[in-house]
Amino acid sequence: MPERTAAAGEWPKIVGFVCDWSVDLAPLVEAGRLRELPNVRIIRIPCSGFVRPAWLEDALGRGADGVFVTGCPYGDCLNREGNYLMRDRVDQLQRRLVRRRIDPARLAMLAHGLHDGQAFLAEIRAFVERLRALPKAAAARPPQAPAAASATEGEG
Amino acid sequence: MTIALQPGPAPRTAVRGRYGRLMTWLLRATLRLDTAIHRIWPTDYNPLYYTGGLANLFLLILVLSGLFLFFYYEASLGGAFDSVRYITEGVPYGGIIRGVHRYAADAFIVAVLLHLFRNWFTDRYLFSRDNPWISGMFLLVFGGFVGVTGYQLIWDERAQVLTGLFLGLLRSIPGVGDPLARIFLGGAGVSDGTLVRILFLHIAPASTLYVLLWWHYLRLRHPKIWPPATWVLFSVGLIFLLAGIIPARGGEPAAPGARPTGFPLDLFFLLPFWLLNWIPPGGMVAALALLVVLGLAIPYVGRREHPEAMNVRHAGVAQVIDGNCTGCELCYYDCPYNAIIMVSSPAPGLSRAAANRTLLAVVLESRCVECGICVGACPFEALELPGFLERDVKRLVAEAVRA
Repeated sequence: MPERTAAAGEWPKIVGFVCDWSVDLAPLVEAGRLRELPNVRIIRIPCSGFVRPAWLEDALGRGADGVFVTGCPYGDCLNREGNYLMRDRVDQLQRRLVRRRIDPARLAMLAHGLHDGQAFLAEIRAFVERLRALPKAAAARPPQAPAAASATEGEG
Repeated sequence: MTIALQPGPAPRTAVRGRYGRLMTWLLRATLRLDTAIHRIWPTDYNPLYYTGGLANLFLLILVLSGLFLFFYYEASLGGAFDSVRYITEGVPYGGIIRGVHRYAADAFIVAVLLHLFRNWFTDRYLFSRDNPWISGMFLLVFGGFVGVTGYQLIWDERAQVLTGLFLGLLRSIPGVGDPLARIFLGGAGVSDGTLVRILFLHIAPASTLYVLLWWHYLRLRHPKIWPPATWVLFSVGLIFLLAGIIPARGGEPAAPGARPTGFPLDLFFLLPFWLLNWIPPGGMVAALALLVVLGLAIPYVGRREHPEAMNVRHAGVAQVIDGNCTGCELCYYDCPYNAIIMVSSPAPGLSRAAANRTLLAVVLESRCVECGICVGACPFEALELPGFLERDVKRLVAEAVRA
């Protein structure tokens, strides 16, 4: 895709929620972005189970090409079950995305431990490649998420 | 609100002091071991994640095989050794069952120790998780004691030496030592009554383990009490295989006049008795007591007890937003620490979804570890972490997408 090579550094736009206790991000992140892949923005969270699926939908609705959540390795969540619960919620959200005609491949759940920085990066790279193969659908939709975001604006 | 959310904290690098540095090193070593294990097994099957469940499995094997042995065992000076020999040689498969009881006991204590060290090194005793830690220390003490009395029950030479050493330990306790020894013996010297007492001291603390396990699980929702089927089959198979290949044997029968000096050592249970070669009994009792006290103190010493001292994000205890709570119980089911209870709702909620509620979620502050799992569970925006509001997350998402 030659017309997109110029923006390759910025596309696809990815938002990642990463648990404080999973991958050691200190050597990987600079100013909230992955040093190696500046198109990946990182939001630190206290536990992968903290993520409300509506936020992932919100990120996709606002124009992110992909969203992922990273927790501890399965079975080793510091909070016992956060990553299993999040994996179930991500599965559920993926089915909902299919119904809304959004490719569920835009959403990923990863699980990596403190020392798995390289495996984490490799999986992100694969994720980026998968997203690059998809049609650029997210930008075509209105930036505001249809139901979830508008409902929350009223209460916030 | 001026809480710095980005960049996130570096939870594990900022612990100060020699103890903190040691614990950080042990944590990193433990997780590096996990990384190595994950090259062989998928993370769901890492046996180190199921040390608690494995200990529980071995305990069940011990109870079942122990019931079998109990029906044949005779608690008397003259009969104990012969009844054990009869189990081993006369009863069909008796030798196997005895071996299973013997090896499951070792496996149990190994699993318990791995469980202890892993949860210690990975900080899983902090904040409101001191309950499992304290009950775990009691489980360890009771389990170790049950193991020692188990070796005495066979009443072979080793049992005789052990009983002598154990009496020496008891008598070295200042003040109450002699009465304790008399209570243990049931008289002035070893008699038939002594073995009845040892049998009681084998079975009663073993039953108490289940009471302590109830305490151990009390604050946990969905405790992992059982390892994956693969590991259950592997463990059971391994124990039966060991029992078949290396049958459990006692030594020579105990004789009242004999003064045996050495015995085959079981490192897992009898380590303190082995150390008696160099340490006087009084010192050994003091050392054991000190170990237990230190173990009980672990969650409360040092500066790692509070999130701020650990430089962990202090998100604050989860708060229920009364008006939005529909009483759906989702957070109640997902909270890993039983920190959320459902009470009958004093008044309907404000939002349309909450208008007909009958229940209301309440967060028990003392049990909350501020992980935010309930926030992710709640589809009605009825839960928030005060230090990391939904508003803040949405702002971060918006900034990330805009930039």
